[in-house]
Amino acid sequence: MKDGRIRYLAENMDRLSRRDRVFLNNPVIMQGLGLAPIIIPATNIQNATIIAVAVILLLTPTRMVATFISRHVGDGFRALIYVLTACTLYAGVSYVMDQYLFGTAMQAVGIYLPLLVIEPLIIKRYGSAQRERISTSFKKGFVTTLGFCLVLFLMAGLRELLATGAIGGIIFFKKGFLPMAEMPAGGFILLGLVAALWRAGVNTFKKRISLGVKKLQ
Amino acid sequence: MSAVIQNLASFVGLMLMALFVENAVFTRGLGVSRLVNLVTNSSVDGVIFCSLLTLVLVISAPLGFFANQFIMQQQFWFRDYIRPLILVVCAIIAFFIVLFGIFLVRPANTKNIVAVLPMATFNGAVLGPMLVTATQNYTFVQTMGFALGSGLGYGLAVLIVSEGQRRMNNRSVPATFKGLPINLLYIGILALAIYALTGHRVAI
Repeated sequence: MKDGRIRYLAENMDRLSRRDRVFLNNPVIMQGLGLAPIIIPATNIQNATIIAVAVILLLTPTRMVATFISRHVGDGFRALIYVLTACTLYAGVSYVMDQYLFGTAMQAVGIYLPLLVIEPLIIKRYGSAQRERISTSFKKGFVTTLGFCLVLFLMAGLRELLATGAIGGIIFFKKGFLPMAEMPAGGFILLGLVAALWRAGVNTFKKRISLGVKKLQ
Repeated sequence: MSAVIQNLASFVGLMLMALFVENAVFTRGLGVSRLVNLVTNSSVDGVIFCSLLTLVLVISAPLGFFANQFIMQQQFWFRDYIRPLILVVCAIIAFFIVLFGIFLVRPANTKNIVAVLPMATFNGAVLGPMLVTATQNYTFVQTMGFALGSGLGYGLAVLIVSEGQRRMNNRSVPATFKGLPINLLYIGILALAIYALTGHRVAI
């Protein structure tokens, strides 16, 4: 890594750790948000795609609309505003997904699609006392969605490979060697292991940056 | 008389099923994000949180049952798409009933209880059981049994995971596993134990 880059990362590590919601402060791995849709229904790439599309269509718009309404209504009932916004948007999102995108395949994710309306990943913002601008809510919503989808597809691919030996229909092994990966227990355990590895990666990255700066001095 | 006993048996059966065999956390992962944050965050009292959650669930479940019966009788083409909205409105009504009750009783830590109430209401462990009972066409008695069992089951899960967290908070656990990873592994092993007990996966 170049010296200038190392210096920049070291000087801004705290700010980057807060803002980078893809790797350093991933909403799933670091904050424990959006666990249920990853642990239970995300057993293959198809299910993960359905959940990812729903989250893409729900998270950022909910955050933006709720931010806009909160500005005009006040902070007293922000939780209700966020949840009702998510529910109202969900009606349109589920209609589009059902009629034009996935049809009966949506049944594979069961109650976990409507449950997204109260998923902390989507409505957690209501708990924050700090108001945000609509442009900020768009940016943060977008990167949070990216971070969630990354872990979602990683977990779904891993579970499908371990349970069936294939990823997205492409066969890598004749049969799966860990059928438990498809079960909720497998989802919990695998996500726990992935989270530990991810956190170890983040810690190693931060250590390397601080060591790099010490060498430069 | 036999109808009363039958209903009572159905209520108790569904309650026990939701409490152990179909525990909201260990079998369906409902409200697991909140649970993991709850056991690692000492500022929120787990007993208050779970009591509020159970109360909200027990009040909103009958409202949800009748609302679902009503929308299923209508010929709207969009009734499946608005079901979460209807059920969330029922949870909001329960939220205000509980809030009113808190202000009426005025316990010593009213401020803390009111602060936790939105977290307990807008939780997968509240909307999840309501969706399960609605999609699986449970009767009123079954709905109430399942709702009460789910609330108590969530409390049981919080208790077990909190105790696990306390015991695992020592040096023998590697630093990268502390917090979320070790909690997920612990819940996973408990979920595996329940699967071994029942031998089947629950419907989602």
